[in-house]
Amino acid sequence: MAATQTTDRLGTLAERARAIVGPVWVLSDPAQLRTYECDGLTNQRERPGLVVLPATTDEVAAVVRACHELGVPFVARGAGSGLSGGAMPRAEGVVIGLARMREILAVDLPNRRVTVQPGVTNLAITEAVAPHGFYYAPDPSSQQVCTIGGNLAENAGGAHCLKYGFTVNHALAATVVLADGAVAELGSAAPDAPGLDLLGVLIGSEGTCGIVTEAVVGILPRPQHVETLVAFFDTVEEGGETVSEIISAGILPAAVEMMDRLAIEAARAVTHMDWDAESALIVELDGPESEVRSQFEAVARICSAHHAREVRVAASPAERAAIWTARKSAFAAAGRLAPAYRVQDGVIPRTRLPEVLRGIAELSERYGLRVANVFHAGDGNLHPLVLYDSAVPEEVQQSEELAMAIVALCVEFGGSITGEHGVGTEKACSMPKMFDGDDLTAFDRVRGAFDPDGLCNPDKLLPTPRLCGEVPGFHRVHPVERAGLGDRL
Amino acid sequence: MGLVEDLAADLGPDRVRPGGPDDAIGGRVPQAVAEPLSPAAVALVLARAGRDGLAVRVRGGGTKQAWSAPPARLDVVLSTRALHRLVDHAPGDMTCVAEAGMPLAALQVAISDVTTHRQRLMLDPPGGAGATLGGVLATAAAGPRRVRYGTPRDLVIGARYVTGDGLAAKTGGRVVKNVAGYDVAKLLIGSHGSLAVITEVALKLHPLPDAARTVVLREPDPDRAAAFCDAVRGAPVTPALVEAAWPEGLVLVRVESTAEGAAAQVERLRDLGPIQELDEPAADALAADLAGRAWAGTGPVLAVGVVPDRLPGLLRAAAAAGATLVVRAPVCAGELGLPDDDPERAARVVGAVRALGGSVQLRRGGEALRALVHDEPGPAVRRLEAALKDGLDPHGVLAGAAR
Ligand SMILES: Cc1cc2nc3c(=O)[nH]c(=O)nc-3n(C[C@H](O)[C@H](O)[C@H](O)COP(=O)(O)OP(=O)(O)OC[C@H]3O[C@@H](n4cnc5c(N)ncnc54)[C@H](O)[C@@H]3O)c2cc1C
Repeated sequence: MAATQTTDRLGTLAERARAIVGPVWVLSDPAQLRTYECDGLTNQRERPGLVVLPATTDEVAAVVRACHELGVPFVARGAGSGLSGGAMPRAEGVVIGLARMREILAVDLPNRRVTVQPGVTNLAITEAVAPHGFYYAPDPSSQQVCTIGGNLAENAGGAHCLKYGFTVNHALAATVVLADGAVAELGSAAPDAPGLDLLGVLIGSEGTCGIVTEAVVGILPRPQHVETLVAFFDTVEEGGETVSEIISAGILPAAVEMMDRLAIEAARAVTHMDWDAESALIVELDGPESEVRSQFEAVARICSAHHAREVRVAASPAERAAIWTARKSAFAAAGRLAPAYRVQDGVIPRTRLPEVLRGIAELSERYGLRVANVFHAGDGNLHPLVLYDSAVPEEVQQSEELAMAIVALCVEFGGSITGEHGVGTEKACSMPKMFDGDDLTAFDRVRGAFDPDGLCNPDKLLPTPRLCGEVPGFHRVHPVERAGLGDRL
Repeated sequence: MGLVEDLAADLGPDRVRPGGPDDAIGGRVPQAVAEPLSPAAVALVLARAGRDGLAVRVRGGGTKQAWSAPPARLDVVLSTRALHRLVDHAPGDMTCVAEAGMPLAALQVAISDVTTHRQRLMLDPPGGAGATLGGVLATAAAGPRRVRYGTPRDLVIGARYVTGDGLAAKTGGRVVKNVAGYDVAKLLIGSHGSLAVITEVALKLHPLPDAARTVVLREPDPDRAAAFCDAVRGAPVTPALVEAAWPEGLVLVRVESTAEGAAAQVERLRDLGPIQELDEPAADALAADLAGRAWAGTGPVLAVGVVPDRLPGLLRAAAAAGATLVVRAPVCAGELGLPDDDPERAARVVGAVRALGGSVQLRRGGEALRALVHDEPGPAVRRLEAALKDGLDPHGVLAGAAR
């Protein structure tokens, strides 16, 4: 009965969607739907009931209105590069893909801002303004493919967010289709607009507060001068201590990235580099030339004082690019080390790096699985890659347990379960590690204000009985209560 | 039993007293002033308010109550004064956690032991020493340094708060990077106490620079002054302050960097206009004067903001209205002090800023001016704001208004 109802609703929705966006932009063929089963978290999949590819804000609004009227859940999708299952659909739900909305609508250099459709890639913004000496600061490693809509939804960061901040520090305004299909303009062109910071809470809400159909983001002039070095250490701890020392010296680098031996080996397998050390620390400074030069000398001194075996300074843009290639390839190269891997995204206070890295090494030994570490050391955002063999069932299980133990370790040290990849489905059941019942209840009320009917990317971000069972103390408000028709008291 | 007795039974007799004339907000004297010692005690006050249908206004230092609309009803002033501890300071992590009633000035002293670490919370809102962290957040107050370091939304990494119906909750954390859960702090910042009582704040700190150098440009022509500000924005300099003061026709730029860096930056600024360098005492005195200048008279004060290419228009609008304007040039947000209560003058300047596509908020002034400045959002935003109010303060006990 329920199944027939779902089929009927999806059928009705498909019909209405075809009228809204045109028949070719509505996908219902199972083979086509398979492309939309998962995002970058490929071990969690669900084939959606329908995929709709609108081209304008009005079309998105009309499709969402139809979903709302029919009670069909929906999820927005950018490039599907998310790493926490955020864009994973529901079987009885709809994917609203924004791939057709990829126009840069306006470049306003005097006011340092660019207006884009949500499907524009992160890198495309920088490419559009680079000839004029500007760039868009948030630089996730996935910047060639990930979209600005996905970046807003995840509050994406990158290697340079240590100095420049995250998406939320650069987004100025957005047009958003709300869960009932109404269109809202959040944020403002001019600073200090009155009212609640709705844009601020939408950013990082993982697609649960509405669908961004247009965004205005700020751009920055390219820094005058950049210096980059890579320092090699005989222990991971020395690398970690060096990070704390640089920050304590009052220096705010543009980026501080670290790789351990295994990550270095992975990168070596796919690039022509000769790095060989227990840990490699990449430090980049940017800004006015004289400031960068004096601080860069201090950084090199600190590396040496912490027994760096070698400090290599990039002598040219090509050498700088080579250092970054090594860093950025480590992720993809992990595939060379093992048949499969899981990425975690925990954050710790950066002064605790040496202890936590030791803790991860101990866990790795205990579980008998290798862990490669390549991470944003400057802001304490770890990316441990847990290597395993997907063909060995025990390893699949063990690797998941090890990954969760690492997350728990981060929380124990006063950190967070996620620094940039988001909670999604992957970490929804880990939320109670960080947040108690009242915290989660308050989060749920915020969500309920944006999406009273629970249709906008449900089962993400917060633990639900469907995903995790009951969470003690967390009172999910029933839509009936929310509508004021009933009360728990 | 009266309200004071009821609250005393909940909190202890020394935490409650009857309200007096000094406690009045917008002319209303509360029946009681409660000074809870803990988030749990804050929740007790709010729970009673919910049961008894009371209106509660949060008070920090009491310096910015006039920034938002006066309460229509007022039964209890909930003072955060007793929540004033520094909870944690991790100098190596450049973060700290403090209770919301801690005065900003006290926090700056507590975290800046110059012998061991040179760091600071880079927030310098107007209004003096009494302002508390909770009040600064609730009003989204920021000062000249926002040019380089941003506003509370850029510096807050976590918060604890008590919702109107008494849930003691937290958002964010203590680390500088974190995307777990909704960023409820963004909602609390600028909420003027309308959604929840902030009880604790986690903040990002910044190193104090080695050296600062300050220059001024005197340029009475709005276009040329704005062009100078624009050139500063595009130059390889890292100013902490860029204050354009009108009608005086003065632009103050302070660069902060290493000693060599600051010296080199002053040379770059010389290429941009006929600047003069000030010695440190003169620079500090002028910077302090500019920060408070819009407030110096007794007339209304407005917070105004425009996009950068409208800066000349904003300077002209201020001059035409006979107003005193200080703008943080790169972000083009500032404060505008009117010389008197003339409603026509106020209407003219508000109209002019709006015509530039700018934003206006009341910082000081009467209710007629507040009504004039009031900016009604579109239906979708209005509904969202109302739904968030209902969600976090379901019984409507918090007598604050975000607009
Ligand atoms: C190799 C690799 C490296 C990565 N490196 C980084 C990194 O350095 N930093 C970082 O932060 N992330 C990184 N990521 C993660 C990912 O790229 C980011 O989360 C990115 O922001 C996702 O964008 P997307 O367009 O792919 O979104 P999707 O994966 O399609 O969607 C992500 C979430 O956003 C929602 N969404 C998408 N579009 C919209 C919209 N228009 N309106 C509302 N919600 C929307 C979806 O519903 C979903 O919840 C990396 C991923 C990979 C694969």
